[in-house]
Amino acid sequence: MSRIEIVGLTQQFKDHRAVDNIDLTIEDGDFVVLLGPSGCGKTTLLRMIAGLLDPTSGQILIDGQDVTHLPAKKRNLAMVFQSYALYPHLSVEKNLAFPLNVLKVSKEEKRERVLGAARALGLESLLHRKPRELSGGQRQRVAVGRALVREPSAYLMDEPLSNLDAKLRTNTRQELSELHDRLSATFVYVTHDQVEAMTMATKIVILNGGRIEQIGTPEQVYDAPASIFVAGFVGSPPMNLLEGSLSTRDGHVQATALGSTSRLWPGTCPEHKVTIGFRAEHLRLEEAETGAVRIDGVIHQIENLGGEQVAYIKVGDHTVVAKCGREVTLERGERFTAGVRAANVHLFDQATGRRMEWVEEPAPALADAL
Amino acid sequence: MSFTITPVPGQERYERIAREGEAAVRRWRKPPIAPYLFILPAIALLVFWIYRPLIETFQLSFYHWNLLPTAPKQPAGLSNYTALFHDRELGKAVINTILYIAAFLVCSVILPLVIALMSRRVSGRARTIYQALVFVPFLVTPVATSAVWRWLFDPYDGVIVVVLRKGFGIDIGSVFRSDHGALIAIIIIVGWQMLGFGVLVMTAGMAGISPDYAEAASVDGASNSTILRRITVPLLSPTILFLALMTILLSAQWTYPMIDVLTQGGPDNATTNIYYLLYEIAFNNFDAGMAGAAGTVFFLVFGAIAVLLVKLSDKLAFYDN
Repeated sequence: MSRIEIVGLTQQFKDHRAVDNIDLTIEDGDFVVLLGPSGCGKTTLLRMIAGLLDPTSGQILIDGQDVTHLPAKKRNLAMVFQSYALYPHLSVEKNLAFPLNVLKVSKEEKRERVLGAARALGLESLLHRKPRELSGGQRQRVAVGRALVREPSAYLMDEPLSNLDAKLRTNTRQELSELHDRLSATFVYVTHDQVEAMTMATKIVILNGGRIEQIGTPEQVYDAPASIFVAGFVGSPPMNLLEGSLSTRDGHVQATALGSTSRLWPGTCPEHKVTIGFRAEHLRLEEAETGAVRIDGVIHQIENLGGEQVAYIKVGDHTVVAKCGREVTLERGERFTAGVRAANVHLFDQATGRRMEWVEEPAPALADAL
Repeated sequence: MSFTITPVPGQERYERIAREGEAAVRRWRKPPIAPYLFILPAIALLVFWIYRPLIETFQLSFYHWNLLPTAPKQPAGLSNYTALFHDRELGKAVINTILYIAAFLVCSVILPLVIALMSRRVSGRARTIYQALVFVPFLVTPVATSAVWRWLFDPYDGVIVVVLRKGFGIDIGSVFRSDHGALIAIIIIVGWQMLGFGVLVMTAGMAGISPDYAEAASVDGASNSTILRRITVPLLSPTILFLALMTILLSAQWTYPMIDVLTQGGPDNATTNIYYLLYEIAFNNFDAGMAGAAGTVFFLVFGAIAVLLVKLSDKLAFYDN
């Protein structure tokens, strides 16, 4: 069980910097999810941790030991591949035993550990099958089992659920979470699926263009996205983001967007270009008159998700997304008015794309910057 | 008030199938002709050029005939077969054929495996050039190859002979006039030509193996030699078996042009093989019947070997998905 430290890690491919000077500390027992769109560098980062890719510069330390240039076989990590990489010519039992054969574990212990892993994952009846005779879900289990038979410093997983169907994915998510609780081991998990990140992670690392956008718990990432990118990436549907500006009037900070101005909170601030964000579920009908941000538009499209419905509202040229219960009757083409409470409004600096926090007593430096 | 049970969509149809059976409900459809028409030309050519001569060879083996269109074919019973098995030259040809196969297994299976593995360490354009260089000999026609090698082995001023004589003090003399020398020279020449083909097939086989397996094994702690032994070579086994099959079945054919151009089977049958023998029986001795018998026997033996190897490769085959 290990702590992984990453210092200034960079991977430069020919004319493309896949991972750009990343600093990250993964504490012992963390379930860290590296989350981001394709091409954000998350798999590259994982492969560098695994030792499958030599970093261009920077350092990787496992429990304080510099492993930057140690080959994969000496790092004592276990990895589950997106393709599962089950050896096609070996039975499930031999696949599970492979890492133990390499370690030269005694026969009895090997048998015990293989059976233990098989029992934990419900694979006992499949031990003599070849990978091609297994379903996608069973293959995924064998791949996890192969990681489990050893006692590695950490478990690395590269989109292990992306080849499963939706229902199986939900079940496997829970099983992986339970596994993490039981082993209290360090997990580093790569995915582009925000639901996987939100449900399993103790810490989410959101990557974009080879850089870290935000590190935080699922709650922090969802409730206080650190940048416009995070706000737009996490959440389904993604956060509504409107370009607007801040100004002061009658001792109140007010926001202007979509042609209407709304009062946020008492205080003063200089004129500032901002992106105003709010989540679809925070756009409420009952706040139509009282909300800090108010929306007045026409329903353009409605998606029925079964338990709730998502409405796409046209306000001028913009589309705003609202989420509400099925008990509300919505009709296409009808007028839609709703509002968002000030507490649920997120502000982002348009120049840098970073989150702005309102502090009651603004520090002089921040005030000057604005 | 009462409950109603939600009907299954298409319930009537299911009920009818239960009552009258699947066949009664399904409409009879005319079998399509078009697919058979598409493969007809290939089948026609195969029958005309392969199966018809095969059957004619089999028929000829029961007659005495000297290949002259005017000469009558005389029924011979099994005498062609007994004559073939008493032929002194057949033993020599079979032993040589086995020697050739053993040597070419090295040239077109083992060496290509080693070269393909080593060429993985070369990257980019250099690898393409390297592989092309290994492959080029395969593209040269066998007769041209023979001519060039005969020149290289020339006893007076051939490069190989001169270098060996002046550099190492070894005088190999007239290679194609000595028993062992001629056999080894033919093995080297044909092996040199087949090597490129083996490397090409082996490289293609390796390209078909996902790099994930080797990576997974290395994360699991396996060393490079363990990965090679336990992962790469087993996964390559279908390719290795295919090359072995090709070598066993075709090496007699590959050597034929070299034997014909360089030694005509000599000296004293030292370099002959079964196909060269077959040719000599038919077109030097004009004994079509015995040649037919030899052709039939070789066909059956190679056929049995092929069936065996194909079964083995089915057993070893894996499906990578």
